[in-house]
Amino acid sequence: MKNSSHFKPWVVQVLPKIYSLFFLCCLSGVYAQNKTITGIVTDDNGALAGVSIILKSRPLATLTDEKGNYAIIAGSNDILVFSFMGYKSVEIAVTNHSIINVHLREDATTLKEVTINAGYYTVKEKESTGSIARITAKDIETQPVTNVLATMQGRMAGVSITQETGTPGGGFNIKIRGLNSLRTDANVPLYVIDGVPYASDPIGYSQTSSVFPNVTSPLNSIDPDAIESIEVLKDADATAIYGSRGANGVVLITTKKGKSGKTQFNFNASTGAGKATAFAKLMNTSQYLAMRKQAYANDGIPTYPANAYDTNGTWDVNRYTDWQKELMGGTASFSSLQGSVSGGTEQTQFLFGGNYKEQGTVYPADFLYHKGGVLLNLGHTSTDKRFRLTVAANYTVQNNNQAAADLTIDGRSLAPNAPALYDAEGNLNWENNTFGNPLRFLNAEHRSKTNDLIANTLVSYQIFSKLQIKSSFGYTDTNHTETRTSPSTINNPSFGITSESSALFVTKTARRSWIIEPQLNFSTLWGNGHLDALLGSTFQQQLTTRLSQNGIGFTSNGLIYDLASASIRQVFLSDEVVYKYAALFGRINYDWKQRYIINFTGRRDGSSRFGPENRFAFFGAVGTAWIFSKEAFLQNSEILSFGKLRASYGSTGNDQIGDYQFLNTYSSSGQSYQNVAGLQPTRLFNPEFSWETNKKLEAALELGFFNDRIMLTAATFMNKSSNQLVGIPLPGTTGFSSIQANLNAVVENTGLEFTLQTKNRTGTNFKWSTDFNISILKNKLVDFPDLEASTFSQRYRIGQPLNISLVYVYKGVNPVTGIYEFVDSNGDGQITFPEDKQKVVDLNPKFFGGLQNQLQYKNWNLSFLFQFVKQKNTNISIGAAGRRNYNQPVRFVDSWQQQGDSANYQKFTTGTNSQVMNAQTLYENSDAMIVDASFIRLKNISISYAIPLPRTAIKCKVYVEAQNLLTFTPYKDGDPEFIKSGFLPPLKMINSGVQFQF
Amino acid sequence: MKNIYSKNIGLLIVLGMITALYSSSCDSFVAVDLPNNQLTGVVVFQDPTTADAAMRNVYASLRDSGILTGSAFGLSYRLGCYADELDFYGSASNSTYDFYNNSLLPLNQAIKTYWNTTYNQVYAVNAVLEGITASTKIPKEDANRLKGEALFVRAFLHFYMVNLYGDVPYITTTDYQLNKSVSRKTTQEVYQLIISDLEAASTLLPENYYGSGRARPNKATVLALMARVYLYTEAWGEAANAASAVLNQTSLYTDEPDIKKVFLKGCKETIWQLTPNPEGKNTFEAASFTILAAPPANVALTESLVQSFSNTDLRKTAWIGSITNNTTRFYFAKKYSQYNPGSVSTEYSIIFRLAEIYLIRAEARAHQGETINALDDLNHVRQGAGLVPLNGLNQQQLLTAIMKERRWELFTEFGHRFFDLKRTGTLDAELEGSKLGWDSTDRLFPIPEDELSLNPNLLPQNTGY
Repeated sequence: MKNSSHFKPWVVQVLPKIYSLFFLCCLSGVYAQNKTITGIVTDDNGALAGVSIILKSRPLATLTDEKGNYAIIAGSNDILVFSFMGYKSVEIAVTNHSIINVHLREDATTLKEVTINAGYYTVKEKESTGSIARITAKDIETQPVTNVLATMQGRMAGVSITQETGTPGGGFNIKIRGLNSLRTDANVPLYVIDGVPYASDPIGYSQTSSVFPNVTSPLNSIDPDAIESIEVLKDADATAIYGSRGANGVVLITTKKGKSGKTQFNFNASTGAGKATAFAKLMNTSQYLAMRKQAYANDGIPTYPANAYDTNGTWDVNRYTDWQKELMGGTASFSSLQGSVSGGTEQTQFLFGGNYKEQGTVYPADFLYHKGGVLLNLGHTSTDKRFRLTVAANYTVQNNNQAAADLTIDGRSLAPNAPALYDAEGNLNWENNTFGNPLRFLNAEHRSKTNDLIANTLVSYQIFSKLQIKSSFGYTDTNHTETRTSPSTINNPSFGITSESSALFVTKTARRSWIIEPQLNFSTLWGNGHLDALLGSTFQQQLTTRLSQNGIGFTSNGLIYDLASASIRQVFLSDEVVYKYAALFGRINYDWKQRYIINFTGRRDGSSRFGPENRFAFFGAVGTAWIFSKEAFLQNSEILSFGKLRASYGSTGNDQIGDYQFLNTYSSSGQSYQNVAGLQPTRLFNPEFSWETNKKLEAALELGFFNDRIMLTAATFMNKSSNQLVGIPLPGTTGFSSIQANLNAVVENTGLEFTLQTKNRTGTNFKWSTDFNISILKNKLVDFPDLEASTFSQRYRIGQPLNISLVYVYKGVNPVTGIYEFVDSNGDGQITFPEDKQKVVDLNPKFFGGLQNQLQYKNWNLSFLFQFVKQKNTNISIGAAGRRNYNQPVRFVDSWQQQGDSANYQKFTTGTNSQVMNAQTLYENSDAMIVDASFIRLKNISISYAIPLPRTAIKCKVYVEAQNLLTFTPYKDGDPEFIKSGFLPPLKMINSGVQFQF
Repeated sequence: MKNIYSKNIGLLIVLGMITALYSSSCDSFVAVDLPNNQLTGVVVFQDPTTADAAMRNVYASLRDSGILTGSAFGLSYRLGCYADELDFYGSASNSTYDFYNNSLLPLNQAIKTYWNTTYNQVYAVNAVLEGITASTKIPKEDANRLKGEALFVRAFLHFYMVNLYGDVPYITTTDYQLNKSVSRKTTQEVYQLIISDLEAASTLLPENYYGSGRARPNKATVLALMARVYLYTEAWGEAANAASAVLNQTSLYTDEPDIKKVFLKGCKETIWQLTPNPEGKNTFEAASFTILAAPPANVALTESLVQSFSNTDLRKTAWIGSITNNTTRFYFAKKYSQYNPGSVSTEYSIIFRLAEIYLIRAEARAHQGETINALDDLNHVRQGAGLVPLNGLNQQQLLTAIMKERRWELFTEFGHRFFDLKRTGTLDAELEGSKLGWDSTDRLFPIPEDELSLNPNLLPQNTGY
């Protein structure tokens, strides 16, 4: 505890008084043979003040005074626990002693005392039976990012996170231990913020979210600065208590809380800038025009057509523009402000904080993303410590103003000799109607406003010493308004299109949910061990309403945001979705001699997403741990300071299938005919589908060496998902593309995860620690009855991962015809689907991880994290090379020109040679497109200096931090991190700031 | 020890309360009502208004998506580019570019969309048929009309599918278990099913139009499609009879003397049209064909089409617009000219109109050797366009004249040009010269690759793909 020097005197004066008062109240207690125990607590330097002494089985506690003295009333059966931050705790049984003096040893690592949040309960990291990864504010704060998932990249074993777009407000893709479900959109984890589940289902609507690869995700609402810690629950032992929602892992987010002691002020301001990480390497003008001319020659077209403006001289053939640089090469500003005040007494603590972030755009326009939030946290404990109350509220406002479209595709494909963007007067240049100026898209705007409240209250009361009753109450309220404009000014003015044709699209989404979780906690000594039991139930309801509207025709573009000014208005969508969920859950944990720990968890769930016959299901798990370093034969080992073997097995479920899917309904289509709104069949329905289950098995070894200076964790797991709940793809002749049903397919995820933490130097002036994690994951479709005859026959292969592509096998360019050739596997003389499209390529990362170093020298602090991913991804494709107004990657210079050429790429065509066009399509679906897209990225680096300010209580720190600063990759077509090609790459940010604390 | 027991009893009581609270309230807690924008399928067909809304949605879907939409995604636009009516000036990334180059591939997204959207529309009409049949609450008059409309739309959609893709499945149920493994029927079988659906529809549908405008198919619309189907299947006598049955309805259908008013919504030549949504909007056709600035950003009429018109042809002046950039003049279809919305809609998208029926009867009669009557029908159309009547043509000359007339009359309407060349076996002869990418096998679209992979019963792929 950094501030312990400020904290100590106050504590020493006041707390013992409170405590003596407290135990006077308890004097009339239950144990008859109570006596006063006194003693002195010391460390290597002498008396130790402020050490807490508690009775293990009863809510009774005290602190040592300045001289290390204490007094407490206890019975002879009691165990006294002496603990102090940074020291190893000591437990001593009272028996017949009345004076107990204790010597505390400093703990080389504070790890031992690290308590981790497991959701419904907390557990000491060293005594945990489950697999839980964790990062804390220390790592989160040094990252200049706005999305919480960005802060986790490269830092957690088993957690793979991919940024989908560099546009602020865009989403991230997260996979915890691989893909479990055949449904691509059903692999998201459960998010729980301070105990309240937070729905991550998209808000918004495709019509208005067009700038992003996917519909807007609500996760942007969580502010990284408000977070104290993020825990990711991975195995059955940790996730089974979340039952049906735990199959894909659980992300627990804990916000910052106040600490008792002196009122503390914290203020942090920073500013910086960002640029796109990488662009594809494209042809220049002479290479481009040579390609185009060759294409006409190849196609036997002697004169360039009138519309070949790029080639026939309509456009300046000597002009060159690097369009990626021109359109996306700008600098995005970034700034962040953050302040908080916290403090309180031993009974009541508070934290009040606020933060604001702003991020600009790399496009040549003024677009800004704003995000601000306030956080309030209150905690109160009654003087008898029986009653506790914590209240937390987090309110975030986002205001995102972006172009309505991503310019990446234009940047990649525009002819390099395309005309200037602006004419001499500074207006958009349309080059006599021959140029569709890409900047027209910047006249169309995407604006979104999101207000998000997450509030929770936890009330607990200790009924008896062994029994606590508590309940949490949570409430979330998300309001999201998203608009997209399509003003007449996106058109060439010579079209004469007026604001009569301008359009506005508005989507309003409101999502409210409440949750109540009453719980009973029972805790007792039993035999030679400690028994903890938990029983609780959950009632949750979530209501999402969406209204999506469209207005066309405005008297002026100045009124375009006023739907009432539109001459025509339509409602696309107006719906209300209710999700209800109820559960009964429990946990029994027994810890024998702090060596053998067994943990049972279970949950019975009911969800409104299933038909009446299939609403309920049971999930459960057992976890065990053996802390063998506490066995006699290892107790005094010089080398091994900690050793634990743990294993768990259990089941979790998945109900991410959307709501009402079991009903046969008609819904309003939003489209009218003869001025009456139409009703459309909503879906093919199946009333019988039920829960998908996921069985998880894990074994892990945790070792600490040399007084825990080296900590190693090795975990192996095997997860099997069965009874897959799938939108089974159907041929179009059924009228729909899929139907929800359970499929008897089994998906297996296996993997190895290693984490290594070392404290290389622990001196007072120089400290150096290293954290390393690596995950090697394997995904496999184990079983799929009758795959051959099913509609999945060309999508999956038994024994292969889910995330595969079936592709043609590329052979090369025929030197005679100049056309791509492929392996004719069935030898029928032609390349046919599906027979020849059978090669499996695996697009899952082979392994990934991160390496972080933290160095501290006197007042200097340096930390840097390298993220690495070994993976394959697809090359970008801009279609057949040689077509009008389509640039190509520069590698296409090596294309076939004449007979006998051995070229890497086939001959150019303007699009009329159907053999070449056909070969192009096969090429795009062949293994030639799949290339190594592994990368090592300097994900984060931060340097800070604590300015010494003698004789003040002010701490001041200046820092520089950077995100995505360097990337090493063999991938040629821009940044290797993407899910869907054609969107802005992640930005590299450099940010500097100052932090005050007093 | 007693103390401990009494505590444990207390514990048990609380435990019991939590469990009891949970189990008593849980089952009912997780039950949900229907969302407020949905009705169950059964309820929809208990009431003629909601049953009618289900059918209306089919027309909205036909208007907005799939093969019949007048937008740049529909057949009028793309088959115009695929054959020789339109030149394409848009981006090479636009899916119409592949239509223009006759380089469609089984993975083409547009090909898949046509297929899927059409069968989705077929599902919707089959659902109406099944819903109405199962319901006892719909008055007979409404039930018959809705059934007739559904059968007509089913036949109409399959008519386009068989002409675009060749042998296709004919879907008559909503049962996905059956539909997911259907096989293709021969072209002849598909046509037989179309005819039998149309025959049923013609007995069910009223003579007059339901609701405002001519927006819902009536008996004459069914006969108009029958005439076209018989023409395509070269059943000349039946084609002529069906056409006559429409043309004899003189109280409903009369010639519009002003050629500029043929595509206005109140025109009496119209047999069936789709109303725009919402009121005030006009047709998609006007927006997709009109050239606002030269050179065009999307499509222009081909030089060969424009030059083929006689200069005295009123259609050339009334239905074709032009624009120049000082070096070149570009022509566009302006049958529909209202591309901006107004306070009321003035143009609806017309699917069947009288001129086509005259031309069908002319062609059918010509094949039957009734050259005089055939010439009468042909001249009736020519007269409307301000052209002199033709005389003294032999059968072959007459048929050639009718084909020319069809090109002038029906250009950029739902791919008539392409289908006419195809059914008369003149596609290769007409297109090989003007279209670089033309192959004989391009007469059929490829079956979407995804479709073949999901349902191998649809194999083999059409030749040439």
